[in-house]
Amino acid sequence: MIEMDKLCVQFGGVRAIDALSATLDAPVCGLIGPNGAGKTTLVNVLSGLVQPRSGTVRVDGSDLLKKSPLQRVRFGLRRSFQTEQVVEDLSVWDNLQAVLDHVPAGSGPRLEQLARVLDYVGLLPVATRMGLRLNLFERRLVEIGKALVGQPRLLLLDEPGAGLTEHEAARLRELLCGIPDFCGAQVLLIDHDVDLIAATCSQTLVLDFGRRLALGPTREVLQDPAVQAAYLGVSE
Amino acid sequence: MSLVVSAGSSGPDLGAVRLALAEMAAQRRRSLWLMLALVLLLAALLPWLANAYWVKTLTSALALSTAVAGVALLYGQLGLVSLCQYALLGAGGWVALRVSHGWHWPFELCVLAGGLSAALVGMLAGLPALRLKGLYLALVTLMMAGGFQVLITAIGFPDGGPGWLGRMMGSERLLMARPGWASGDGAYLAYSAAWLAAVLALIELHRRTRAGRSWALIRRGEAAALGAGVNVLLYQTWAFGLAGFCAGVGGALLAGAVGQLDGRGFGASDSVMVFALTVVGGAYHWGGALVAGLLLRAVPSLLTDWGVNGFVAQMVFGAALLHALITAPGGVIGQIQNALGALGRWRLQRGGAT
Repeated sequence: MIEMDKLCVQFGGVRAIDALSATLDAPVCGLIGPNGAGKTTLVNVLSGLVQPRSGTVRVDGSDLLKKSPLQRVRFGLRRSFQTEQVVEDLSVWDNLQAVLDHVPAGSGPRLEQLARVLDYVGLLPVATRMGLRLNLFERRLVEIGKALVGQPRLLLLDEPGAGLTEHEAARLRELLCGIPDFCGAQVLLIDHDVDLIAATCSQTLVLDFGRRLALGPTREVLQDPAVQAAYLGVSE
Repeated sequence: MSLVVSAGSSGPDLGAVRLALAEMAAQRRRSLWLMLALVLLLAALLPWLANAYWVKTLTSALALSTAVAGVALLYGQLGLVSLCQYALLGAGGWVALRVSHGWHWPFELCVLAGGLSAALVGMLAGLPALRLKGLYLALVTLMMAGGFQVLITAIGFPDGGPGWLGRMMGSERLLMARPGWASGDGAYLAYSAAWLAAVLALIELHRRTRAGRSWALIRRGEAAALGAGVNVLLYQTWAFGLAGFCAGVGGALLAGAVGQLDGRGFGASDSVMVFALTVVGGAYHWGGALVAGLLLRAVPSLLTDWGVNGFVAQMVFGAALLHALITAPGGVIGQIQNALGALGRWRLQRGGAT
């Protein structure tokens, strides 16, 4: 569960996050908003790349802002980036192993853990394939796999569906929905694809100019006239 | 939220996974052995093929290749531009000469002392600089090389004299003692190649472990590496230390090759040349270090052999660097690899057609 209270982030004269308070407790939560709404800034705050000016963030009751970025990773926080970060001269297996090298391993042999994650994301048959030879969808799956190794507690997935075909996006939806059951981690999904958000997230937070525009069950949030006006371009 | 193990699934086929991983590991072992075999083959053949002049030139080239391997490690594995490798080479050479003349250690220990001390210097000097990136890191390391140039010009290299600096007041400078079985120039060339093989193997083994994977993540993006739990500063410092070790070993081998070192030969500009030729040779493959070492020493000697001013080589290197940066990021060795790959594909197609 993510609890944010009066969170403020300022870059010079720009207030990127403005007194944001929200509690996200669904297994898969959505975070949407127009460009510049502060979505990626919020993810950067959660992962420790950006320091907020004020406010608090608690994850599963633990004060996240008191932890360094590395401590957050060991705590179980994982993130993926808008631009995939697959290392091209490492195999799929080694891309995941590179993360498992630095995070607390779960129970059981490491080989078994990695195989289980690769099996879940569907990359086990190409485990020894080099990153260079992967297509975009496989690269996105590697990114999700990297977030699943060790003992993840919270996954911050920044636009994992960008650039995927309809068929691939459908497969991605299945994967995202299954993550809480697979490893018990909560997922915070940031994406512009409203269909993906609607299909996977039971709770959604909408940001606009760094402020909370709406928070609640995804279906209700997407029907909110203020959200439709600000984000979907539909006039109130 | 606690970890929940999924139930009801038969799970992945671990036997097949183990098999695939074993095959991957076997391929890596084969490439490592191939590398060692090729370098040691060079060690065995070169003393027989080259005349006295070329034996000395090639020995220097191999010593420099050892240092270049460190630059290639930093640039190829982490994307770091270090312009102080020649200074570290000098630092390693200084320590090797000092312990050889002062304490008469066995040559191997002198080489290790040179390598380890250069690693330490590299790590200590690099620690503040590693918070910088790109051009700024390059500039700071170049300034360090400049500082070493000033220092070594002032104190010189030990040559058997008394005192901490080990400088001889008169003209009778002592030469560094080589190992007994490699006292001849030909044997010393083979000996230097064996050290180069060991250093290249050390780097290759690093690349296959936690350190290599962490370096790869850092090269891909520091934010992503941090997000994966990599202690970026620690692994960068580690790489700087290993690169320093390579330079120190190269410096000690150079000291053993020539018998003594001259402070005038360790200018900051030499570090720039080492970096440039690392890119030209190829920073992503061990063979690039060999090519760069040959370019640094053999090409100027070849030009001299042909009666052309050796400094013309710098013009050729400039053009080669431009070519590498624009069209051949893998350097000479990358182009050779591509050509061999194309040849293999052509032979396959030809075989399929018949």
